[in-house]
Amino acid sequence: MDLILQQMVNAVSLGGIYALLALGLAVVFSIVRLINFAHGEVMTVAGYGIWIALASAWPVAAAVALGLAVAILAAVSMERVAFRAMRGADVTTLLITSFAVSEIIKVLFQNGISARPVPVVLPAWMSGTLDLGPVRIGVIALISILTVALSLVLLSVFLRRTVMGLAMRAAAEDFPVVRLMGLRANHVIALAFAVSGILAGVAAVLWVAQRGSVDPLMGAAPVLKAFIATVLGGLGSLTGAVIGGFVVGAVEVCLQGFLPQSLLPYREAISLALIIAVLVWRPDGLWPAEQTSRS
Amino acid sequence: MDRYCRRAGALALAVTAATATGALAQDYVIGVAVANSGGLAPFSQPAYDGFKFCVDEMNASGGIAGKHPIRLEVRDTRSEISEAVKFAQEFVDIGVNFIVAPPDGDPTMAMGQITSPAQIPTMTFAGTAPILTSVGEYVFGSYPADNQQAAVLGAYAAELGYKTAFLLKSPDAAYTQFGPAYFGTVFEANGGQVVGEASFTMNQPDFSAIVTTIQALNPPPDVIMTSAWEPDFPAFIKALRGAGVTIPVMGADVLDTPTVRGLGEVVEGVVHTSGGYPDPGSAHAEFNARFEAATGKVADTNYVVNGCDILGMIDAAVQAAGTTDAAAVGQALAALPETEGIMSSYTFAGTDRMPMRSVVLARIEGGEKVIIRREMADPATMPAP
Repeated sequence: MDLILQQMVNAVSLGGIYALLALGLAVVFSIVRLINFAHGEVMTVAGYGIWIALASAWPVAAAVALGLAVAILAAVSMERVAFRAMRGADVTTLLITSFAVSEIIKVLFQNGISARPVPVVLPAWMSGTLDLGPVRIGVIALISILTVALSLVLLSVFLRRTVMGLAMRAAAEDFPVVRLMGLRANHVIALAFAVSGILAGVAAVLWVAQRGSVDPLMGAAPVLKAFIATVLGGLGSLTGAVIGGFVVGAVEVCLQGFLPQSLLPYREAISLALIIAVLVWRPDGLWPAEQTSRS
Repeated sequence: MDRYCRRAGALALAVTAATATGALAQDYVIGVAVANSGGLAPFSQPAYDGFKFCVDEMNASGGIAGKHPIRLEVRDTRSEISEAVKFAQEFVDIGVNFIVAPPDGDPTMAMGQITSPAQIPTMTFAGTAPILTSVGEYVFGSYPADNQQAAVLGAYAAELGYKTAFLLKSPDAAYTQFGPAYFGTVFEANGGQVVGEASFTMNQPDFSAIVTTIQALNPPPDVIMTSAWEPDFPAFIKALRGAGVTIPVMGADVLDTPTVRGLGEVVEGVVHTSGGYPDPGSAHAEFNARFEAATGKVADTNYVVNGCDILGMIDAAVQAAGTTDAAAVGQALAALPETEGIMSSYTFAGTDRMPMRSVVLARIEGGEKVIIRREMADPATMPAP
């Protein structure tokens, strides 16, 4: 029982990071119909921001703030430099553009900083553990869970209680009508990228805290999982992205924790097979958007 | 007619003079498959830096065997095996004299399947999987093989009094899969017992589930061994220590990097193997100083000095063969007796072309690599590839 509880904590911790990233992808997709595979590189940029700050002896809070700031800057710059020129292009063109942006950033980091991961050392107290009843939870894992919860609450408040949040939700529903209402498309789209940048930045902080290093390929694997999560949740659905993130995290942790040793090498294949089975059952995802868009 | 005779005579004289001064010495062409990006870049870049540095030094003193200027044909595989295969064919087509392959067994084996039948000696930058030479008789290792490292590390674990071990493997590479398996074989031969295993995927996002599995073992294992490299090892050790698990961890030579040593408290006491250690006053230390002075880069991993040793191996083989002919050099290399290197001496004769080299046992203390001892693996205790 303790083992199951412990693995549930692991699933929530991992699923939360996937949910943040998936939400970042979904926010942009819902408005501009772009699956931004360079979203992982926003995370990487934030990771290097944190590394530079900590290596310069900045306090942790300031390093986190810098990480978030550079993530927002990177996401908005990406939109301005690469994606704005492609606005209105078909899905395939946008997809290839995002892959190109992703590759360019990776190679710049590999050759400009180092191909090797750089260590990020956080204060010793963050490596401690807490005993919560039968469950022993790491301080970083606990911070991760709380941060994810807080981020989702804040995003929900922003989207529901502010004018710009309302504009973004409306744009996700019907962008041409939002433009006819007088809202500037550039502002709404830039805001969507900024929000996705914040989410990637928060995910990067948690990722770096848990993994202890930053490398040029850091964002590649999680953004792939986040993409799977957005498809599983329902492309374009913000709620679906969060649900998808937690489901993907739970499936991964459960398979890693409970599969027999002989089947462990097939874990990824089994995980994807399960997700395909869900999509066969619900082709539009677990929580599809009002206006579903499938490729 | 006299005029033509005079011209022909002058031309012959010029050619003779040029040859005598070495101006027409035949280039020694080395095809180098590097990985400037992708997962192998952290190992390939320092290895290539050391190799290139020594190529420049050797060219300044006449080239291979003192008389054949070295010309490099460098290609970037981007850590893709398909690219490595493409370049292997290109190198064969160009007719290079020697090939240096990426620092991993898998791309080296893929290249060797093309280059070995063409009788072009092909040496990995730092691949250590002993099975890599099985693809052809012209494929060579350069670093102490995984089973050599395991023979030393497994015996040391038993010597420390560890009775039980947990192995963390990944089927994604021969190195990460078989390194721990060789360790387990040696550990059990020395009276230990492997009580559990886990499998991870390279670049796996999260290790918490594996850590929970280890925590659930009752009694806990005495030691955990893995051949995981960056960024997986940092992620694993962070998750392990972050969950309060203090079981000692052992690893392979791939942990010998400033990134791992820079992880702080979580890696304190981690024991790993290594290809060498720059003792003060040693040729290795002198090389590191020379390299840093010339390039401005710190030789902070052994892959740098091993890159230079690879050139030394090629040079020794060419001198032993007395020719630059690729096949003859390959055969001479396979028969090299113990030869002095910079990182350590190496012996190819009597091996399956994975050189016997001493293995360093090291411990991370206070962010520094501290040498425990240096020893040569006993071939009798080395697990078969």
